[in-house]
Amino acid sequence: MIEFQRLSKRYSDVKALDDVSFIVPAGSVTGFLGPNGAGKSTAMRILAGLSRPTSGSATVLGRPYAELERPGYEVGTLLDASAQHPGRSGREVLTLGAMMLGLPRSRVDEVLELVGLTGKEGRRAVGGYSLGMRQRLGIGHALLGRPRALILDEPANGLDPQGIHWMRGLLRDLAGSGCAVLLSSHLLHEVEQVADRIVMIGRGRLLAQGTPAELGQGRGLEQTFLDLTAAADRSPA
Amino acid sequence: MNTRRIPFRTLLRVETRKLFDTRGGKVISGVLVALAAGAVVGRGVVSGPELHTVAGTAGIVFGILLPVLAILTVTGEWSHRTALTTFTLEPRRGRVMAAKCLPPLVASVMACAFAMLVAVPVTAAVAAAQGVPADWRVAPPALAGWTATTVLLTAQGLALGTVLMNAPAAIVTCLSSTVIWSVVGRLGSAGEAAMEWLDLNTATIPLVNGDVTGADAARLAVSALAWIVLPMAAGMVRTMRREVD
Repeated sequence: MIEFQRLSKRYSDVKALDDVSFIVPAGSVTGFLGPNGAGKSTAMRILAGLSRPTSGSATVLGRPYAELERPGYEVGTLLDASAQHPGRSGREVLTLGAMMLGLPRSRVDEVLELVGLTGKEGRRAVGGYSLGMRQRLGIGHALLGRPRALILDEPANGLDPQGIHWMRGLLRDLAGSGCAVLLSSHLLHEVEQVADRIVMIGRGRLLAQGTPAELGQGRGLEQTFLDLTAAADRSPA
Repeated sequence: MNTRRIPFRTLLRVETRKLFDTRGGKVISGVLVALAAGAVVGRGVVSGPELHTVAGTAGIVFGILLPVLAILTVTGEWSHRTALTTFTLEPRRGRVMAAKCLPPLVASVMACAFAMLVAVPVTAAVAAAQGVPADWRVAPPALAGWTATTVLLTAQGLALGTVLMNAPAAIVTCLSSTVIWSVVGRLGSAGEAAMEWLDLNTATIPLVNGDVTGADAARLAVSALAWIVLPMAAGMVRTMRREVD
């Protein structure tokens, strides 16, 4: 389970997050929706212990991330698929991760196969990867330690339709086996098709949460999203 | 399931591997070895078969390239934003930084041993070719001091890289300090004193010569404090506090 409790983050003059609370239950995929700059990435980085909240807290499996002894076994993270050394091969990226987790090298092959990267692609430098391939690599890296929670920031970006279809199946399977999946996106339709629950934020504030059907209110998720984000933009920050 | 903390030796293995698993890392290590060997051979041919002189020539290469390697190691996670993955697998950033700093320091000691190893056959070969007796005298204090100097200059690279978090800035600072100090040293007695007490390159000269007096040691300590201890301490604080994005 992933839990945000009254999370706020203030940069000198901007409230990036303002009193955000929600839960990602085990065995579910929760879609984290919001326009660019809404605070999705900030929330996820605080969750992963990379940024400090101004107030409130974020916990994974009941503990703050920084207190996890070996987080790779508990929670898989993909925060930015592009953040890779361009000169390192995809296989090497996974090998370094497997070494840190104390996993056998055979796990690297398993993961490459799981995310659909061929042996030849694995040996190529990441600098030559398409964004879609980097996403697959990043998802594979997150899954190395077979974690019980997943934090994925915009994993569908750059994936082709086959890739999106594949990812949807993968995330459903993971949730089916009890994993708590938090995935952010600004692609409404993708999220709608894979998520059990949706959390919408805008300007750092929680706008709505519920199942896709509840939030769609018969007029579609997109309309709800547009109405809510437009209202958030009009109100003073 | 193994949920204990990542052993430090594992972090050390990972960070050592990162030194060499990219083309850039391989190129700089290859250049380092080739230039050091080339310097030893060249000096041997020109200056004659004196082991100490011949081996010591590699120090010029080490004094420049090892700090650069050190800087690239400690700034790499920020340059390529891989800190996002590294610090999510090990949130205790101080351990990761410690694991990054050790390999270049060990490499510095190994580099000096390597220069010695190359210098022995070169000295023998030059002596044979020129028909003159080889000079095998190496004063242990000078050898130790030379190795220590190489380690200190590498440590300076680590400290500057850690505090600046930016490879070009740290490399420029490291390389231009030599130029700046040679100007400062010419600015009268005050400039000369500043250079003696604050320039690590100047302060390590007695160490290389293997003849360190009490006053030399004090100057060395002050310059090491200024260029290694303080920037490293500030850099660790910055690394712990930094928001990773």
